Amino acid sequence: MKRFIRMRGVAAAALVLSSVGLYSTAVSSSGASAANAPFVIGSVNSVQKIDPDVVTNFLDFEALGLIYDMLVQENSSLKIEPDLATSWAFSNGNKVLTLHLRTGVKFDDGSTMTSADVVASLTRAQATATADPSASFIGSVTNIAASGPNTVVLTMSHPDVSVLEGLATVNMAIMPAAAITAGTIATQPDGTGPFEFGSNVANTSFTMTANPNYWGGKPSLGTVEIETIPTEQSISAALQAGTIQMGLLNQPTVVSTLPKTFKIDKALDLSYRALQLQDKKGILSNVNARLAIACATNRQQILQDSVFGQGKVVGPVPLGPYATSPVSAICPTQNLKQAKKYLKAAGKPKGFSFTAITSTDLDSTSAAQAIAMQSQLAKVGIKMNIQNLASNAYIQDWLKGKFQAAFAENGADPDPYVMYGRYFGAGAGLAVPAGYSSKTLQAELLAGDENSTAAGQIKDWKALSNTLTSKAVWIWLFDANDFAALASNVHGFTLSPVNTTQLASLATTSVS
Amino acid sequence: MSALLAVVRRTFSTLVTLWGVSVIIFIVLRLLPGNAVSAAMGVSEGLLTPGQIAALNRYYGVGQPAVQQYLSWLHALVTGNLGISLVSREAVSTLIGTALPVTLELALFSMIIGVAIGVGFGMWSALHPGRWQDDIGQAISVIGLAIPVFILGTVLVVFMSTHFHYFPSSKPFAGVLTNPWLNFQQIIFPALVLSLGIGAAILRTTRAAVLEVSSLNFARTALGKGVSRRAFVWRHLFLNALTAVTTMSGIQLGYLLGGTVIIEQIFILPGMGRLLITSISNRDFPVVQSTVLIFAAGFVIVNMLVDLCYTLIDPRTRKQ
Repeated sequence: MKRFIRMRGVAAAALVLSSVGLYSTAVSSSGASAANAPFVIGSVNSVQKIDPDVVTNFLDFEALGLIYDMLVQENSSLKIEPDLATSWAFSNGNKVLTLHLRTGVKFDDGSTMTSADVVASLTRAQATATADPSASFIGSVTNIAASGPNTVVLTMSHPDVSVLEGLATVNMAIMPAAAITAGTIATQPDGTGPFEFGSNVANTSFTMTANPNYWGGKPSLGTVEIETIPTEQSISAALQAGTIQMGLLNQPTVVSTLPKTFKIDKALDLSYRALQLQDKKGILSNVNARLAIACATNRQQILQDSVFGQGKVVGPVPLGPYATSPVSAICPTQNLKQAKKYLKAAGKPKGFSFTAITSTDLDSTSAAQAIAMQSQLAKVGIKMNIQNLASNAYIQDWLKGKFQAAFAENGADPDPYVMYGRYFGAGAGLAVPAGYSSKTLQAELLAGDENSTAAGQIKDWKALSNTLTSKAVWIWLFDANDFAALASNVHGFTLSPVNTTQLASLATTSVS
Repeated sequence: MSALLAVVRRTFSTLVTLWGVSVIIFIVLRLLPGNAVSAAMGVSEGLLTPGQIAALNRYYGVGQPAVQQYLSWLHALVTGNLGISLVSREAVSTLIGTALPVTLELALFSMIIGVAIGVGFGMWSALHPGRWQDDIGQAISVIGLAIPVFILGTVLVVFMSTHFHYFPSSKPFAGVLTNPWLNFQQIIFPALVLSLGIGAAILRTTRAAVLEVSSLNFARTALGKGVSRRAFVWRHLFLNALTAVTTMSGIQLGYLLGGTVIIEQIFILPGMGRLLITSISNRDFPVVQSTVLIFAAGFVIVNMLVDLCYTLIDPRTRKQ
């Protein structure tokens, strides 16, 4: 018995000692933000590829967007502004684009950027062997030529002012011609951006250091590390433990649990949620049936149920100077009486049924959207069956158009041609999943693309929005907020709405 | 000689099992919709021209016939070369070489704690049947079996970070040799979470086995002969119950490898589980194949070792 008591005493002492040890470590870790320590960002994703011409993941774009510059960029108002090109002009009926380059810009390898580098970079992006997913954005470009050391001329096959938007993506990053020739871009990023590549440990971390030669001035943050933390709850825990200074979050529930000491920056994500409809066969080929769905839908309620209201109900063009307003030409808000009228006109006064696919792997909110919409449609007798698929199964079915309806989160762009040309334009690459085609839409897209006057473009893109919603081609739902949770000593960071360059303001961020 | 033959026979059947596993993994992965190209490109795959898709197929090596892919993988496996990751372009052996020690360390810690909980409380419970000590043991086993590891892990992480601003796993993983104290802090909490389920199963088995043995004639005879309490408990009861406890521990170790997949996600441990999840979502076939094969090999080898342990624990099996 005495031995037992003695053993218990030893165990209790060990427990107390270890608790004290762990607690002291806890306290020291929470205040361990030394001035020269890396600035650590937690993200559920990891950087997969480091060749800017082949990246497709958002985090790859965001990380490489800090290492590379493009010719132009989108500002926080989603307007095109200078980046490596300081000015530009369209000529010859919008078939020629002349770009004047910034001078004195250096790559990470120390060489100076010239027009030869720009020509080599855009030529690489266009090459079939590169398989650049944004190559179609400059598909109209038939010739890329240098005109002097600081001028580049793009010649297009037809008038195409949207080519400028295409040049703003990281897939069109400018890299040294010598590195392209040497074939080192895929392993050793070499750009002109505010940070230089440090290291990339697969599925674990991506590190960058400040570029001392950055043309915009050396960033205040010495080292930036993007750490992969598999769950948002763990990101929240890491923030509270003080081991990371910023967390990239999507789930409002996680954001709401953070203490008030953290600064929450939020921005409407430049992507939108929509119910895509395959309009070529079955009941959904009937425009009145689609309009009945549109009118029976309460978008605000879906926004509330799926992302706790953290976002905005939007139309086909969610953000930017051509944003759709009102969000729909037909039933911008729920109108059940009107929905029943459309059902009668469709010859289905008692309703009909169809199946919608979702993928919670791709969009964790899609099931909640579907359930909310299911109950709304049921009020007018429309039965929506829901089928949830794994990500790859969803993508395969989506690409082949093997669905009646699909809850989708699609990337957006301020330029409607860039956004919808690939779905509804002539010879569109995504015409099959788009599920709808019409000469009217094609003509409207082309008119907007060819028009270089601001007033003309506003008129053209409004007409496009009207056509898309008055035919209920798809049902556009909402645009959700993205969040960045910041430690209280982080200053100057603003989440950009452009989700491929969300971290751009790290160049001017500081830690006190 | 017969023991050697048994070992050889067992090793051969293990190899056959692993070959079968390799075939199943290979087929199942190919039955899944999509490939590395579609996983990498997502819906953007629809925007690629046929020439671009052909270029990507060459890059990812997904255009080869399935049989050729399997044979080249098997050949590489036998020669110790596990191939190259389709996504990170790193050698699979390097990725596994980094991840495997983390998972093994986690499994070892979990097993030690689990066995300590299971055997300790199991014995305590069995020696006091129907009394409050037994009730505590039963309660621990019910709680351990009922709470899923992902809930317990998440609650622990939230509790530590919210109340103590403490989450050592969120720091870069420290090796056991480079920073043993940080390494201990990073491993101990996920190990505790995993060990509760293991301990609960072992606890129930220990309790049942000890109670069964204590009711046998030889146990009563030993007590009648005046054997000391300690000798009776450990030599007569525990040793005779050890076969069942070992079997359960072996099974739990197998399941433990599966449990690490979830717990490594919650506790940000760069182990095999996290590598597997990431590779599956990226359709990174060379990594998935080799990772699953190592999990399967771990399960099979543990079972083989458990069988061999019987001969050490129970002399009767040696005679058989």
